[in-house]
Amino acid sequence: MILETIDLNKRFGGVTAVVDFSLKLPPGAIFGIIGPNGAGKTTIFNLISGIYRPDSGKIIFQGSDITGLEQHQIARKGIGRTFQNIRLFRGLTVLENVLVALDPGAPYGLGESLLSTPRKFKIEKSLRERARHYLNIVGLDKFRDLAPESLPYGLRRKLEIARALATEPQVLLLDEPAAGLNPSEVRELISLISDLNGNQALSILLIEHRMEVVMQLCQCIYVQNFGRTLAIGPPAEIQRHPEVIKAYLGEEE
Amino acid sequence: MDMWSSIAIFTAINVVAVTGVFVLTGLTGLFSLGQAAFMCIGAYTAGLLATKYGWSLAPAAVAAVLLGLVAGFIVGLPTIRLRRDYISLVTFGFGEAIAAFLNQAVNITGGAMGLSGIPRWTTLELALVSALVCLFLVWGFKNSRYGRQCLALRSDELAAAAMGINVNRVKMIAFLLSAAISAYAGVLYGFYTSYVEPVMFGWTKSAEWIIMVFFGGINSLSGAVFASIFLTALPEILRAASEWRIVAYCTIVLFILNFKPTGLFGQYEISLQKLWEVWKKKAKDVEPL
Ligand SMILES: Nc1ncnc2c1ncn2[C@@H]1O[C@H](COP(=O)(O)OP(=O)(O)O)[C@@H](O)[C@H]1O
Ligand SMILES: [Mg+2]
Repeated sequence: MILETIDLNKRFGGVTAVVDFSLKLPPGAIFGIIGPNGAGKTTIFNLISGIYRPDSGKIIFQGSDITGLEQHQIARKGIGRTFQNIRLFRGLTVLENVLVALDPGAPYGLGESLLSTPRKFKIEKSLRERARHYLNIVGLDKFRDLAPESLPYGLRRKLEIARALATEPQVLLLDEPAAGLNPSEVRELISLISDLNGNQALSILLIEHRMEVVMQLCQCIYVQNFGRTLAIGPPAEIQRHPEVIKAYLGEEE
Repeated sequence: MDMWSSIAIFTAINVVAVTGVFVLTGLTGLFSLGQAAFMCIGAYTAGLLATKYGWSLAPAAVAAVLLGLVAGFIVGLPTIRLRRDYISLVTFGFGEAIAAFLNQAVNITGGAMGLSGIPRWTTLELALVSALVCLFLVWGFKNSRYGRQCLALRSDELAAAAMGINVNRVKMIAFLLSAAISAYAGVLYGFYTSYVEPVMFGWTKSAEWIIMVFFGGINSLSGAVFASIFLTALPEILRAASEWRIVAYCTIVLFILNFKPTGLFGQYEISLQKLWEVWKKKAKDVEPL
């Protein structure tokens, strides 16, 4: 398993957000998490990426225990993520938003930054090229000098993905990437995610409300409700699961 | 002539100080109300070493900057992980504590009487070269992986950490860099006025620098420099209007911040390339004639 969580629990005051959440993500897989609003899906991502510490339970990444590590340490170990409520950096251009993800590991020091050595400019140039590579993957290179706020909503979501890719993760956590996209954008997103999974051998964990996204992409789906896992299984099975239909897909009745 | 050179030296010293504050407030979004205390540490350290121990300019300046760094480290270590508003409070407390300490330590520092007889080593050339060097260094910092990480965490610390940025470490680097530059501004200041006293370095001085950074445009180093030149020289030039100059000064600042909340320059940077482009365009427009 590339990523494994064992009995994660998280409470916020009186609210039980996540109860005994256990997940096994094999390398190269795309798994989905679905469930109604407030089911604790985002909290699971926040636990994995180190924003919150679990009250109990463990998170294992590539065989080592990463529970309780700091957010930036987890990111640099190879778990990238996007945010449900897009969180791009204001005051930086589109390109710089991606560059920032390369900066923590950029191979020049404070002295070279201050003195603007030729080596710094050379490395900066190659960083820029790498950042543009990630912008190209999501098709945003031509907007590289714009402010992210000036992009339409769908493109901002893509920029979030490019930025997460630039952290060079082995596991990518996508929190409702299709929220707010129109049907053609959703189709593009589906092919982007399956490309990332195919070409870059990226393992992906996906929270999504749009059924067509999860059903097309995921090999396995976890259904969450009130913090608990209701069902685990492949899409076809989940669609037929009586409890799931009752709790979540029930609107169709 | 003498008055103009004095204005130029004070302006250059303010440019040095403001580049330091720009790193902290402009790039990183942290407000230090104790920044003048680092200037104070710089001025007193260099001044004492020169007057009491006969040190010359360069080693005294280096020692003063190093002590500024040490003080920055001691203040920064417990503070930097606090919420932003607490950082302002703690640095404020630190600044006032330094002033109080210097007031009390009469036998070392002269207490409230101040420290006098400091050699006048800050020439116009030294002040100008110092301003240019600091600008160059801070420009390099802004346009580097550090500057970008500062801007990113200023905008969103949580997302910055998700990009692998060690938020506390980057904040600390910015804090130390600005402490060192402020201490150096203090060295220049002490060696110019030849007399320093604790009250010169209160929180109002720190606030003044923050105003300059805001006035010039929070993201713009050229704006900060312009503002420090304009806002240092302005009250001097308005001196003829005596008491009214403060009113005029405040009115101008408020006016600009009200009508252009992102500051005079906003994000805009003056660069040689842009000047060249403007010049080329002008040249082209003229050609057909
Ligand atoms: N930082 C927090 N403080 C308090 N309560 C929180 C916090 N984060 C999430 N919650 C609560 O935890 C529950 C699960 O939230 P969340 O994980 O965002 O759900 P989902 O992403 O499935 O919609 C909700 O009841 C929410 O109000
Ligand atoms: Mg959510």
